Amino acid sequence: MSARNITIEYNDKVVRQFMIASIIWGAVGMLVGVLIASQLNFFQLNFNTSFLTYGRLRPLHTNAVIFALVGNMMFAGVYYSTQRLVKARLASDFLSSLHFWGWQAIILSAAITLPLGLTRGKEYAELIWPINIAVALIWVVFAVNFFWTLARRHERSLYVAIWFYIATIITIAILYIVNHLSIPTGMLHSYGLFAGVQDGLVQWWYGHNAVAFFLTTPILGIMYYFLPKAANRPVYSYKLSVIHFWSLVFVYIWAGPHHLLNTALPNWLQMLGMTFSLMLWAPSWGGMLNGLFTLRGAWSKLRTDPVIKFFAAGVTFYGMATFEGPLLSIKSVNALGHYTDWIIGHVHAGALGWNGFMAAGMFYFLVPKLWNKPLYSQALANLHFWLGLFGILIYVAAMWTSGITQGLMLNSTTEGGTLLTYPNFLDTLNTIRPLMLLRVVGGGLYFVGWLLMAYNIVKSLKGAQAVNGTMEVVVEDDVPEEERPLGPIVTVLNPPVIFSTVGTIFTCVWLFGGPFLQIVGAIGTALCVILAWVHFESKGKRWAAWYERLLVSAAPFTVLTLVAVLIGGLVQIIPGIVSHQAANVEDRLQIPYTPLELAGRDIYVAEGCYNCHSQMIRTLVPDVMRYGDYSRLGESIYDRPYQWGSRRTGPDLARIGGKYNDTWHYNHTLRPRDISVGSNMPNYPWLNENATDVAALESKINVQRMLGVPYDEMTAEEIQASVDAQANEIVERLKVDGIYVAPDKQIIALIAYLQQLGNYQEVTPAMASR
Amino acid sequence: MSDNDKPTPPVEGSKRKHVYDGIEEFNKRLPNWWLFTLYITIAFSIGYWFYYAQSGLPEGDGERVEAEIARIQTAKLTSDLVIADASLWEMSQNEAFISSGKETYNSLCAACHLPSLKGKSESPAAIGPDLTDDEWVHGSEPLALYKVVDEGILAKGMPPWGPTLGVQKTAEVVAYVLSYHEAP
Repeated sequence: MSARNITIEYNDKVVRQFMIASIIWGAVGMLVGVLIASQLNFFQLNFNTSFLTYGRLRPLHTNAVIFALVGNMMFAGVYYSTQRLVKARLASDFLSSLHFWGWQAIILSAAITLPLGLTRGKEYAELIWPINIAVALIWVVFAVNFFWTLARRHERSLYVAIWFYIATIITIAILYIVNHLSIPTGMLHSYGLFAGVQDGLVQWWYGHNAVAFFLTTPILGIMYYFLPKAANRPVYSYKLSVIHFWSLVFVYIWAGPHHLLNTALPNWLQMLGMTFSLMLWAPSWGGMLNGLFTLRGAWSKLRTDPVIKFFAAGVTFYGMATFEGPLLSIKSVNALGHYTDWIIGHVHAGALGWNGFMAAGMFYFLVPKLWNKPLYSQALANLHFWLGLFGILIYVAAMWTSGITQGLMLNSTTEGGTLLTYPNFLDTLNTIRPLMLLRVVGGGLYFVGWLLMAYNIVKSLKGAQAVNGTMEVVVEDDVPEEERPLGPIVTVLNPPVIFSTVGTIFTCVWLFGGPFLQIVGAIGTALCVILAWVHFESKGKRWAAWYERLLVSAAPFTVLTLVAVLIGGLVQIIPGIVSHQAANVEDRLQIPYTPLELAGRDIYVAEGCYNCHSQMIRTLVPDVMRYGDYSRLGESIYDRPYQWGSRRTGPDLARIGGKYNDTWHYNHTLRPRDISVGSNMPNYPWLNENATDVAALESKINVQRMLGVPYDEMTAEEIQASVDAQANEIVERLKVDGIYVAPDKQIIALIAYLQQLGNYQEVTPAMASR
Repeated sequence: MSDNDKPTPPVEGSKRKHVYDGIEEFNKRLPNWWLFTLYITIAFSIGYWFYYAQSGLPEGDGERVEAEIARIQTAKLTSDLVIADASLWEMSQNEAFISSGKETYNSLCAACHLPSLKGKSESPAAIGPDLTDDEWVHGSEPLALYKVVDEGILAKGMPPWGPTLGVQKTAEVVAYVLSYHEAP
């Protein structure tokens, strides 16, 4: 066996770049967050200016924090740790550089397009299609760079952090591409492939798993590298790593529908969303346990080392958020918490507590390593920690209180349950105002802490020399038998994989089969579990040996991970695509929008109205009492994007059409407080000035027709005529009340859209059979 | 990794032989309470699915809501409040009715009719007409007024308040408005 020594110099330049980008964009994202939180309290801060209005800035905030702060931080952590864990320099300096600059260009273009109102109208998937393509390409660059590095590794066995990175890369690629499938209607606008309930399902399959595979798995991987490094302690349990990794990646994918509980989503999907969320509790906590128990024996460092402080608190917040998630997924709890600030508190416990603190801990750890100079001030880092911690606690506590208070008020009934106690939505909004103000304080404190870190790091870098890590590696030319990768047959034909596959198939038969198949499935599942148990008890060593071999086999490992994450998505999404056609709608069918209404809807989407208004009356008595008959899935079956919403800062709009007259909507859109005293909705003066883009309607309607919406073929002239006729009717009605407005203004189109919300046609047997 | 600078940790279970960039891993068994959590959530999910999806016992969400709303409608209809011209005039002189009517008025009606009830005659920007003068657009009898509040006049921008307010509160609001007028 021959061996030789070589010296590797790591590419730490790209790590430094991503780290600094994360700090800068993170500050921008938080600044926007503090601004929009203030806008909820002081409508004046919208400045009557389109690009500074809440509905356009809120997507900027969420995208900045997710993709810019956490994205850049994740790339820094992944690149730093992977090189060291696999003992290889990043495969390509060019790809690393392309990855970095490409990602920053994407962030910059997002920061420009979102305030301009260029959006796809789906949460965390707002970016327009040309940017979507860029994101997909840069993600592929990341993937190639990463897997190419794995191919050149000198450490054959893959450490648990690498498992999580692999899961991240492949899953995000799939989620992102599927949820962004769309057909352009122009350079800056597109309609998604999916519509209505199907769009909602795909959106939250994506949205929920963006949380899973963008905000959780890569950060868990980062935890598995940096936490034992910083604590100088062995990881608590390899066994736990194996179990919680596989259960996490398998179960997470199924839980997406818990964002659509009590809605028009078919019940079987809601039930899968709820049960899999509950089953996700233990796998999530496996990560927390491995983190916290690794710190056993190093707790003394908690007093002195800011890095350990941030990691310990970050992992604790992870545990808190992943307990709260399953709790909120229980249908009855969700009936109270959904659409309220409780959810906002939940996600910020994750984003600020888990992601933000893990980022800070990692940066403080990296500064001395990457610049070969101690941190400028430990005291400032400690101050950052305490400011951040108090900030989060104030924020989260305020949001819990706010959410539960508003939820209880909205659901409260009086006089023997026959009347709502607070029929005026604004009463509930104005009750939580002090808490919304408190959230600005909490978020502000956290932001100040982040700035302290930026200052601390800038001071540390002053006069420092950037250094790249190096390592002596022993290269063995002969690979021993037990370190050779698994072949394709052994990858598939081995007890763990066979038992998992057969068990999953039987479980699906039990879940979805007819009366007879259900019994077969249930018995098969039970038998499979028992046999697997017995086999593991007697031949457990063979399972472990096979897994050790899998760990030196990057490609088979990746394939098995891919299969594990694909199952949940396939089971949930395929039936919908096959059966989603309007013919299958049970009782009510949406009436396609007139051209003017469609233009108005696109204005509604562009202004980000969905950030505060839902269009989904849930199957809950208080919802029906407040907003009218519960929404059926057929009523939004043609909607691209679906607009069911996720937070009701204002009331639901699913049946707003015809409830008030055109004058009401005109006045309310321009000056909401003239009519709704105490409202925090922004004024929209520019809708009264800007003209509706009628020219774009031809290609928009063509795309809609191509996607299956029953539009008749219309020429540009016919569209114009239809728009003029409908707009003039509205203009005439406004005239009666002394309001004179040109028919081509955007506000006319918006009124046309709002006034038809809630219209539907009854499904007749003839239509159903078509 | 050198551990010389800190106290020796207690003797622990076996470590894996692989060390990654200095990171070691224990191979400890999973905590029992963690395993129980996992098993209990799985068992619950199986039971939940069986009960709600396969047993055929519980009714659907839509049916449940429709039944409850039907019950509420019945309860509203059987409310013993008498709505007639005479009784409304009576209420308009009842302090309790006027004051709770005023509360509802200020929270819901004042936006269009203004807190003074003078509506358009006070400010041209107001949406609703004057409620204090003797000019009635939709009938001057209390019952007619009640009907306007209850069912709304959509064309004029008056929403139907009956469904949200119920009989009692609608009557209170009408009583409050009538309190600005002379009873016959």
